[in-house]
Amino acid sequence: MYPEPTNIWERIEYSKLGTTIAESTWMFPTIETIHVIALVTVIGTIAIVDLRLVGLHSRGHRVSLLAKDTLPWTWGAFALAAITGGLLWISKASSYMINPYFLWKLVLLALAGLNMMYFHLTTWRTVEHWEKDPTFPFAAKLAGWLSLVFWLGVVFCGRLIGFTLGIYY
Amino acid sequence: MGDFLYNITEWLRSTWLADFALGMSEWPLTQWVVVHFWAIPIMQIIHILAIAGSFSAVLMLNMRIFGFAGHATLAETSRRYTKVLWWSLLFVIASGVAMLFGDTVRNLLNAIFWIKMILVVTAVVSSLAFTKSLSRRTAGANGVQGEVVGGGTKAAAFFLVILWIAIIFCGRWIAYAPA
Repeated sequence: MYPEPTNIWERIEYSKLGTTIAESTWMFPTIETIHVIALVTVIGTIAIVDLRLVGLHSRGHRVSLLAKDTLPWTWGAFALAAITGGLLWISKASSYMINPYFLWKLVLLALAGLNMMYFHLTTWRTVEHWEKDPTFPFAAKLAGWLSLVFWLGVVFCGRLIGFTLGIYY
Repeated sequence: MGDFLYNITEWLRSTWLADFALGMSEWPLTQWVVVHFWAIPIMQIIHILAIAGSFSAVLMLNMRIFGFAGHATLAETSRRYTKVLWWSLLFVIASGVAMLFGDTVRNLLNAIFWIKMILVVTAVVSSLAFTKSLSRRTAGANGVQGEVVGGGTKAAAFFLVILWIAIIFCGRWIAYAPA
């Protein structure tokens, strides 16, 4: 029996879906595993393009073609990570919402999204003019480095959540 | 399934591994890892990033072989992602070994840990065979788009993806295995 919820996060956590996931012996680990598979796909496929942008890998390959190959996987995996992440969150919403690493993970995800959006709306528009140059424009390199740092931060915070869930309450 | 895993764990407890795991938990390196809060999370982060590298390399090779990603020749794609795969595998294994010291008993006396080890060895051997066969097949095919890929290569590529998904499954479930 669950106590009367005192805030919106507890209301979500004590919902039918939240308690079903939390009480099941296999649901949380299974959803968590799918979340990890989706996340490593997002990180890996994004890194392929980012490492090309900063000039550390795949030099000599057109970045627009690399992005064409990887982006469908990045988006598909991101959607799966968001769905599974949402399900994990519902099962422990009140604990996650007071965990600083979870909140930082959300901030870093937002920053990664904003960085990508800004890059695609500005520098990427002229990609055909600079992608055959030996070095890429500063803005492209910066977007690549920022993306790598933000996603590294997402993994860092994501892993730290598991180690600190019992600390913040 | 739970009973099966529990029985394997019980059997592991009856072997020399039990004494070895307990002895290993007293090693200075194990003690150092246990008392330093950041050691395990950092090793796990490196492990996850290395898995991201391995899994994505296998995934992109698959995409090229199945014709879903075709901007480069198979030879170029194979060369590029094979390097990523081997470097990532090196970090997967190194960080995995380091993580063993975090909780020797829970890891070594755990059915899912050993299933994962069998799958990792299978992945390394299969990757070696697969990349060798791919480099033989693509030798001299530089610059030729759309080389013909046989059913065997496609099956091997798909098998590697499934293998990595199984490895990730086991990796996460080690923490939830019946002890």
